[in-house]
Amino acid sequence: MAANSSGRRRSRRARSASSRPNSFYLILGAIALVGVGGLAYVALKPEPAVAPPAELPADLADLGPAQPYVKGNPDAPVKIHEFADFECPSCARFAVITEPDVRTRIVDAGRASLSYYDLPLPQHLHSYPASHAAACADEQNRFWEMHDKIYEAQDSWSTGRTNNPKNIFRDMARAIGLNLSQWEECYDSKKYQKRIDANHAEAIRQGINSTPSFIVNGRVLRGAISFDELNRAVTEAAAAAQSGDTAAPRSGDTAR
Amino acid sequence: MNKRRTVAALALAGIFVALYLTLTKLGLLGGGALVCAVGSCEVVNASRWATFLGLPVAVWGLGYYLVTFTLAVVSLQDRFGDSIQVSRGLVFLGATGFLFSAWLTYLELFVIHAICQWCVVSAVLATGIFVASLLDYRELQRLAVSD
Repeated sequence: MAANSSGRRRSRRARSASSRPNSFYLILGAIALVGVGGLAYVALKPEPAVAPPAELPADLADLGPAQPYVKGNPDAPVKIHEFADFECPSCARFAVITEPDVRTRIVDAGRASLSYYDLPLPQHLHSYPASHAAACADEQNRFWEMHDKIYEAQDSWSTGRTNNPKNIFRDMARAIGLNLSQWEECYDSKKYQKRIDANHAEAIRQGINSTPSFIVNGRVLRGAISFDELNRAVTEAAAAAQSGDTAAPRSGDTAR
Repeated sequence: MNKRRTVAALALAGIFVALYLTLTKLGLLGGGALVCAVGSCEVVNASRWATFLGLPVAVWGLGYYLVTFTLAVVSLQDRFGDSIQVSRGLVFLGATGFLFSAWLTYLELFVIHAICQWCVVSAVLATGIFVASLLDYRELQRLAVSD
């Protein structure tokens, strides 16, 4: 009896199953085609434009000119502008792996200057605190030492690792020999909020919406690019500068 | 059987959605460069909730859809056509995916305050899989009773 009823069930379901088997596989094929096509499209399409974030004033001019942190000769023929977020893993990758070579072989060699602009992205809750920590180190002429410490230890202070990264930043400030009470007062008062926002605003003016991004004499390069890519861009920009084909100088640069 | 086909079709679509989110999370999509960008999916995918038990949530989703798709295709074989165990397996997978999606959607709406449209698509697919697997299970039960 059980076998019998089971047989009847199978025949019922088998009947419906065999009704349109080919159309079913056609549908699966169509879904696979759309899926592969969609992934290929996303992989090849250019980056979309993104609206400015809400935390900045509607009129970006209120913030004044950007005040990036500049390394190297500010009068070098080539200027590398880096827009970065201290909490962005790709920025850390660039800072830790690629930047040492950039400093010795490009900046210290006098071929280009490197200007660092803060671009704190909204998904990174500790980006602003990190920018404050670095700006307050700059007050004591130790920006780049702090920059390196912050990026090297990004895993220890980023969102989700800690709710308040201040103590970790203070340890870094101590390690690089800052006057701690001065640094702490500066950090707590968010003394350089306007400077950070002005650097952020410069990114928006330049149409930069992802980090790290680089502008080498007007040419935009996105992502944690390799030393070779940046080196090539600097070489080409230097050649163009020599032949008089320079991009217009930018207003926001201040040497430190 | 049509319900199981529906499960298979939805799971196949889910495989591609999860694959997209996985590749994005791993930095292999979006211009091909390693970047951090502004955008709701980036916000959600970069949040602390985008990792579950040491693996990106998108990878769990990919595994879920692959297993569901495989079981759904296998269940279409004639010899499993009446298997209530296979139906239970599909319902179990469907319920797991549905509940996990509901939890993630809750996090997006009320904790992260950002909605990733592809996560929503995945949640809709997971809901569809759950409903279809339940209907398949009920159909088998009804057939058993009517016999």
